[in-house]
Order: sequence, then C-alpha cells, then structure tokens
Amino acid sequence: MTASSLPGGQSARLRRLRRDYFGSPLAVLMTLLSAAVIAWIGWFLLDWGVIRATFGADGTQETCVAHGGACWSVIAVRWRVILFGIYPYEEQWRSALACVVVGVVILLSCLPRMWSFGRLALVWVLGTVIFYTLMRGGVLGLVPVNEQQWGGLPLTLFIFVATGIIGMPLAIGLALLRRSEYPVIARVTGWIIDTIRSLPLLSILFTCAIVLPFMLPGFLIGEKLYRVLFGAALFFAAYQAEIIRGGFQGIPKGQEEAAKALGLTYWHRTFRIVLPQAFRLALPATINQFVIAFMETSLIVVVGFMELLAAGNTAFKTGEWKFAYAEVYVFIAAIYFAFVFGLSRYGAYLEARMNVGHRKD
Amino acid sequence: MSAIARTNVMDLTAPAIEITDLNKYYGTFHALRSINLTVSKGEKVVVCGPSGSGKSTMIRCINQLEEHDSGAIRVFGTQLDDNLGSIDEIRREVGMVFQQFNLFPHMTVLENCTLAPMLVRKISRAEAEATAMRYLEKVRIPDQAQKFPGQLSGGQQQRVAIARALCMQPEILLFDEPTSALDPEMIAEVLDVMVTLAQEGMTMVCVTHEMGFARKVADRVIFMDKGEIIEEAPPEEFFGQPKSDRTRLFLSQVLGH
Ligand SMILES: Nc1ncnc2c1ncn2[C@@H]1O[C@H](COP(=O)(O)OP(=O)(O)OP(=O)(O)O)[C@@H](O)[C@H]1O
Ligand SMILES: [Mg+2]
Repeated sequence: MTASSLPGGQSARLRRLRRDYFGSPLAVLMTLLSAAVIAWIGWFLLDWGVIRATFGADGTQETCVAHGGACWSVIAVRWRVILFGIYPYEEQWRSALACVVVGVVILLSCLPRMWSFGRLALVWVLGTVIFYTLMRGGVLGLVPVNEQQWGGLPLTLFIFVATGIIGMPLAIGLALLRRSEYPVIARVTGWIIDTIRSLPLLSILFTCAIVLPFMLPGFLIGEKLYRVLFGAALFFAAYQAEIIRGGFQGIPKGQEEAAKALGLTYWHRTFRIVLPQAFRLALPATINQFVIAFMETSLIVVVGFMELLAAGNTAFKTGEWKFAYAEVYVFIAAIYFAFVFGLSRYGAYLEARMNVGHRKD
Repeated sequence: MSAIARTNVMDLTAPAIEITDLNKYYGTFHALRSINLTVSKGEKVVVCGPSGSGKSTMIRCINQLEEHDSGAIRVFGTQLDDNLGSIDEIRREVGMVFQQFNLFPHMTVLENCTLAPMLVRKISRAEAEATAMRYLEKVRIPDQAQKFPGQLSGGQQQRVAIARALCMQPEILLFDEPTSALDPEMIAEVLDVMVTLAQEGMTMVCVTHEMGFARKVADRVIFMDKGEIIEEAPPEEFFGQPKSDRTRLFLSQVLGH
C-alpha cells in the first residue's frame, strides 16, 4: 500500500539495485561471490564469538577448548588488568572514575556551545585537577599512587586528551607564527615544524623519556610521564600546524582585508575571521590527525608505560590464559573502534553543521 | 543619531582626505607617481582609468591595506604614519566596499554587521543589532538578516557589504569597483543604494566605470593612467570637454559601446 502511494519510490530503488548489482553476467558473478564471502565471514564470527563461545568467569581452558569457540572467560576474569593495568587493585575505582572524568571532558569539549576560551579553559583545568587528584592521590585521604603505576584505559585516554589539549593551542601558535609578517619568525618556525615532522615519534618519545633528564637542570626534569606527554603534544602540534596552514591557504585574501578595513585588531581578525574559516577547511584532516594521535598512544609502552594495549598483553601473559590472546585483542580492538568510530561520526556531524548556509563556494 | 563614542582625535573641520605627493612601488614598479588629492567632507569623488592604472592601489593606501613609500595621507587631519594607533584610528572612520564583497561566510548577515561595532566600537549587542537592522533596512534587505552570505545573490551580498561598512558609522566610504562582479540585472540595485548614500551627504570615493553614476552624483571625476592623476574635473566638464587625449581615448572606449 505504501509502495503504491509513493509513485516510483520502491520500484525505482529496486530497479537501481538490479542495474548496479545484476546488470551483466560478470556483475551477477561478483555480487554472488561477495555475498558468499561476507556470509561466510559473518557465520564464522557468529559461530566463534557467540554460538560456541564460553562466557562467564568460571570458564577454564578445558571448558573453552571443549566448546571450541571464543573464550570470553578471559575477559570476565582479567578485565580489570586490561582496563587498569597495575594500578593497585583496591584503588581501581579511582581509575574508573578518572575514565569517566576524561569522558566528560571529551564530550564537553565537543559541544559547539562550549567553544569559548573561558569555558574550554574551565573544563580542561577542572578536568585535569580532578583526574590528577583521583589518579595520583595523596590528598583527601586517597592513597598516593605513583605515575609509574598508572595504566590501561585511563592512561590511554589521559595521554590522548592531554596531547590534544596541549598540542592544539601549540599548533595554532606555530601556524600563526609561520605566517608572521616578519620573515625571520616565519622562517624559524618553519624550520622547527619541519624538524619535528622529520623525526619519528618513537625517537621523540625516547628523547623526552631518557635523554632529556641528562640535559635539563634538576628542577625542570619532572615526572617521566609529563615529559613524554610534552613530546607527544609537540609531535601532534607540528603536524596539526601544517594542517591549519593548509586551511589558511584556502581563505581568500579579501577576508582579512575586509576585517582590516573594519578596524578589527590582529587578534580579532585571527580568532573571529581567519581561524574559524581555516578550521572549517581543515576539519577532515584535523579529525584524521586526532584518530592518528589516539592510535599512537600505544607507542608509549616503549618508554615503560602500560597503556591499554600493553595492559591487555599482560592480561594473557599468565600461564592459564596464554591460549586466549585473540579474545583479549578483540576486546581491546572493540574499545579502540568505539572511540575512533565515535570520532569520525563527530567529524561528519561537524562538517554537516558547518556546511549550513554555505550553498555556494 | 546613535550615541557612539568618538575618540575625538579626528578634526572634522579638516579636509576628509588629504593626499600629498604619494608614491608607491611594487618592487621596482612605480605604481603611484606623486599623487595629490584633497577630498572635502561630504564630497563625492569618482575615480576611473584603464586597468592597472593604480586606482585600487590609491584608495587602498587611504586605509593602509597597501603601505605607501613616500608622501603623506591625512584623514580629518590625522596623519597616517608608522604609529599603529593612527591606522586603527583611520580605519574606524573609513569604511570600504570591495569588488568581491568579502562578506564573512561563516557568519550570518546580522553577525557580519554587528561584529566590528561590538569589537571595535565596543557597543552592546542590542545596540549593534538595532543599528544593523536600521542599515539593512536602508539597503532594503532586513528580511535576510538571519541568512548566511552564501545564500544570497551577488547584488544582495554587495548591499549587505555596504550595510556592514555603514554599521561602523564611518565618516568616509571607499568603493573599489563595487558593481564589477555583478550580473547586469543586479547592478542597478547596488547603484541605487549608493545614490541614496550620496544624497544623504556621505563622503565617498568610488572607483567605478559606471559613468551614469558619475554623472548623477559625482562632485568631481578623476582620471588615472599609469599611476598618475591625469585629469580631474566636475562631471559636466569631464565628460563634455576632456582636456587630455588619454582621457578622450578612455572615455570613447568606456562610453563607446
Ligand atoms: N601586490 C602587487 N604586487 C605587484 N604589483 C602589483 C600588486 N598590486 C598591484 N600591482 C600592480 O600595480 C598596478 C596598479 O594596480 P591596481 O590594482 O591599483 O590597478 P587598478 O587601476 O585598480 O586596475 P583594475 O581596473 O584592473 O582594478 C598594476 O600594474 C598591477 O599590476
Ligand atoms: Mg582595481
């Protein structure tokens, strides 16, 4: 009935379907072949992951092998090691709470109505203080926990968020310096950016973790975690600065001239006219950069931090769960996927939002 | 009109614009050759001349979108010099309308009009919006206030650009070929607005090839070629008995078709 009330609606779709997927013998063959492959993979996952899988904390290697499917028992038993690493067991509620805090900071930062200097600064400072207090302890009757014992999801999230929060303003600063009217400043900034970009992130992390303490005066050395964070943020900033510069180049010269003619100061021109437009142009690349930054948090394991992936590795290192590494990796992959997928959906939302009213250009 | 605080450094009894012996180079290219020009308050000056003759360069020197190399520019007695304050001072009193409109695409029409008055003149949002609506009515598009520039036609965009400049309540308006990027059917609506402004006594310097507009409102027409002012005369004289051969050639080309 609905089909007949929508003239052509459903039948047009059917026709298009037939044309696109069954238009020629080769197309029919490819369609059937792809469908078979997808069905086979889907069936395998369903069979392995659900039908023959073992759930619950009382599963053991014997019961799992007997069932023949995935052994989700490893997650049920070891999830706290995966999520929180070697953070003291009794204190792990603080880790969980810290994750929530970071999550709230991320969500708030994503809301367009929060995008003013004051509000973002408030959210970030407050978030950092609460996170640090929870994780580090030593006040309010919380047992002190050294940064070396932080691990798992809160560490991964913290590094990601801190990279963004420190790296983004740094990137904006570098990008602005690079287009400075003074050739010396522009050139030197260009060199700095290019130098950082030509170094592998690993070498920057190593330098910050291990080499820097020999070069800095004692009071500047600080905790290894923060040195590493600074390195990651610097790396992020160098790439993001180039992305923003690309955005600058897409803005017609007349925009800044019009702003000058209206008497706007350099800062007003920059923050009201130039940067908003540069970010709109650079948005897809910026989201991409954040995705990369999230993935790269796993690199800090090499300087001795047990972030999510490393914590997952230890979860099956004990003899009894050695066989169940695939399940642990699937679990961790699901967490990464949830974040990155959310990030890319958010990027799509922003693009749609910014395209409102830009029928032309 | 509205109570916008002036900084009062401007001397409104001095000539609106006074350009003396202005020179400008692009590298070795001599773009402006000892330009002398005085525009009094309320005067309308139309600048014409062949492409590349330096018309844009000259009016862009007035609000320092281009830096000049020698000579002096005074706006209501305030001299433009290396003192950055004088540039800010002058830009507040000198509005500009561009060939390409240059509206801010990420802001609505209303936001385009209120941004500078709020940030530069430091008036409240309510007052800025009231002023903006008044000028949007003047250019006859108050109903488009909530739209984005990309949703408007070229003629509408240029009228918004004029309203945006007016919202700063400038003493002087500079126009750089405001109708050259428009389809023919939209030129009239923009020129109408400009004629109204002229009749209300705005001080205007217009680079344009719309000779009908020049005849109608100009107090003086200036002809430039190769970086020099060749001729300057009231419109009747300029179009009736042009003195220089170059002017005659140019006029025959512009009016010929
Ligand atoms: N940024 C620049 N660098 C080098 N040369 C320039 C620059 N801007 C303008 N010129 C040159 O200066 C001369 C005057 O340019 P200007 O834009 O003032 O001409 P115009 O009279 O406005 O011409 P049009 O009618 O085409 O707009 C031209 O020969 C132009 O090539
Ligand atoms: Mg020009």
